[in-house]
Amino acid sequence: MVAVSFNNVWKDYGDSVAVRDLNMNIKDGEFVSLLGPSGCGKSTSLRMLAGLEHITSGEIVFGDKVVNQLPPKDRDIAMVFENYALYPHKTIFDNIANPLKRAKISPSEITRRVNEAAKLLEIDHLLERRPQELSGGQKQRTAIGRAIVRQPQVYLFDEPIAHLDAKLRARMRSELKHMQFNLGVTTIYVTHDQLEALTMADRIAVMNDGVLQQFGTPQEIYENPVNSWVATFVGEPQMSLMEMSMTGEKGDAALDFFGNIISLDAASSSRLTKAGIADLLVGVRPDKASVSLQETPGAIKAEVYSRQLLGADVLVEVAIGKTRVRAKADTSFMGNVGEPCYLNFSSENLYYFNAEDGKVVER
Amino acid sequence: MASRELISYDTGATVKILKWVSPVFLGAYLIWALLPLFIMLMASFKDLLDAFTLPKPGQWGDVGVFFDFSPTITHYIALFAENNFGTYLFNSLVASVGSAMIAVTLGSMCAYSLSRTEFRGKKDLLFWIISTRMAPIVAVIVPLYAIFRSADLVGTLPGLILAFTTFNLPFAIWMLKGFFDGVPYAIEEAAQVDGNNRFQAFLMILPLVAPGIGAFVILCILFAWNDFLFATIIGSGGAKTLPAATKELVQPQNIDWGKIMAAGVVTTAPMIPLGLLVRRYLVAGLTMGAVKE
Ligand SMILES: Nc1ncnc2c1ncn2[C@@H]1O[C@H](COP(=O)(O)OP(=O)(O)OP(=O)(O)O)[C@@H](O)[C@H]1O
Ligand SMILES: [Mg+2]
Repeated sequence: MVAVSFNNVWKDYGDSVAVRDLNMNIKDGEFVSLLGPSGCGKSTSLRMLAGLEHITSGEIVFGDKVVNQLPPKDRDIAMVFENYALYPHKTIFDNIANPLKRAKISPSEITRRVNEAAKLLEIDHLLERRPQELSGGQKQRTAIGRAIVRQPQVYLFDEPIAHLDAKLRARMRSELKHMQFNLGVTTIYVTHDQLEALTMADRIAVMNDGVLQQFGTPQEIYENPVNSWVATFVGEPQMSLMEMSMTGEKGDAALDFFGNIISLDAASSSRLTKAGIADLLVGVRPDKASVSLQETPGAIKAEVYSRQLLGADVLVEVAIGKTRVRAKADTSFMGNVGEPCYLNFSSENLYYFNAEDGKVVER
Repeated sequence: MASRELISYDTGATVKILKWVSPVFLGAYLIWALLPLFIMLMASFKDLLDAFTLPKPGQWGDVGVFFDFSPTITHYIALFAENNFGTYLFNSLVASVGSAMIAVTLGSMCAYSLSRTEFRGKKDLLFWIISTRMAPIVAVIVPLYAIFRSADLVGTLPGLILAFTTFNLPFAIWMLKGFFDGVPYAIEEAAQVDGNNRFQAFLMILPLVAPGIGAFVILCILFAWNDFLFATIIGSGGAKTLPAATKELVQPQNIDWGKIMAAGVVTTAPMIPLGLLVRRYLVAGLTMGAVKE
């Protein structure tokens, strides 16, 4: 139970930069999720925390101690590896018990803790087997078990439940979250599944291309993304972006979207006129956009591009010229592909970004 | 997870023919390989007269004379009583096991570091290591003899062990490096996170390369045990091994066939179980499935 900080941390592999000037302060007992697409540097950051990867420059601090030079065994961490890294010659029991044996814990206590962890992970019937006799998901749960039998200062999870089935994954999410909350162990959890990040984390660090984009609570990230990349990466189904330009004078400013004029509410209007940016990227989340076959006042004429059933409702993708916009409609929406339709949204629900650099327009 | 049971598929005529041909070929090979050993074993129990009682060429009916003798163990007794073969057996054992142990200890550490680290010139270093094995022993034996003599190592067991080690070590490094390369580094990373230091992590993966190390130790022992050149030149005198001693049974005026055959049996017998062991150790594939590829 310790606070963890990255201070100006860089990681180069030869000429390519995997992590670029990472700064992040994780509070004691916090559950932080590192979220980003494949290859963005999540695992690299985590492995630097573990002491498995040399830090090119910068500092990693646990509490008030710089740990750059500390080997993994002295960092008091437990880690679930992306590739499991089980001991092939040991049984599942011994795999899970291994860190405890090192810590010189009594055999009866080891047995108790291993059995408890195995039961939680639903692998208690497999304890006598060896890793090669297990399915991928079972191996992954063994790897989780090896981490959670301990109570370290920091838990490091690298996509720990990526290979479980949907039902088990949902259970493990809540079990891991529950356990972490009870133990109060600082946890850093790498995932590329935003649902995991949004449901489990106290704060999410969104990364792209080795750069930390935004670090905030799930709500902040969802409601106030700092740039168009974060806005489109977080949220399912994805936010749509539309290129628009400002028209009209101060007081009756509006947006021009390929000839369609979108009027603005007072707050948006003053925000955009204050910023004075001509070309904008305007985002709308699918559940804040509606689509209908009947023309309604202020609606934008579009064409149905595709229609996907999501279960309770349908996701309709419409095309306006080359721009595609996704909207949710209820299952009674009967538009076929190619049919004309009308897209509607209200300016209060829009996200505004500078078209030049993608940064959010200041409030 | 993948199992290793054999799957049989429908096969064509060629495969069916091969199924017939291969046992015949293997049978012929077996006879070719085992017959000399068999003759050696039989002859070691015969006195000189019986040993040279052979059927005439083509007279297959008379093969029985080959087995018609009264077994005697006088050759064996004479070997140990008159010719000191007990000492030579001991020398062979110490020299071969000793050099194998040194080669495997140094070799596994060297192979481990070469497998786990990257540095400039690594490929050249590896090539240099194996190139020491490229020259035949005869090519280096003269300078080596000079060096060993000035170090007072000629005719001593430590000298012989050192000589065998110089030839076993490069072999150890190359062979064991292959085995370490097959063990994912992630396993050691996990061990370190579990609270081991780097050396303890190395010890943790040793069981995974144990088959390789076992096989290698045996091959080293076999090499040293059967070696003739080093044994006669470096080991001559104080550290005579079995092959060198056997050679001395050939005297200009008298070739003692019975003793030579018995010496052959004494030399070969301990190596047969080792050969069988090597086969068991070389079954690899232990690391399968522990790390997601
Ligand atoms: N050993 C290495 N040598 C060179 N480049 C590497 C090495 N390890 C990682 N990289 C590069 O660093 C970048 C970040 O890799 P990293 O493993 O951190 O990605 P990730 O975010 O964990 O991705 P994923 O979600 O696919 O696991 C990638 O572009 C990768 O190609
Ligand atoms: Mg990764």
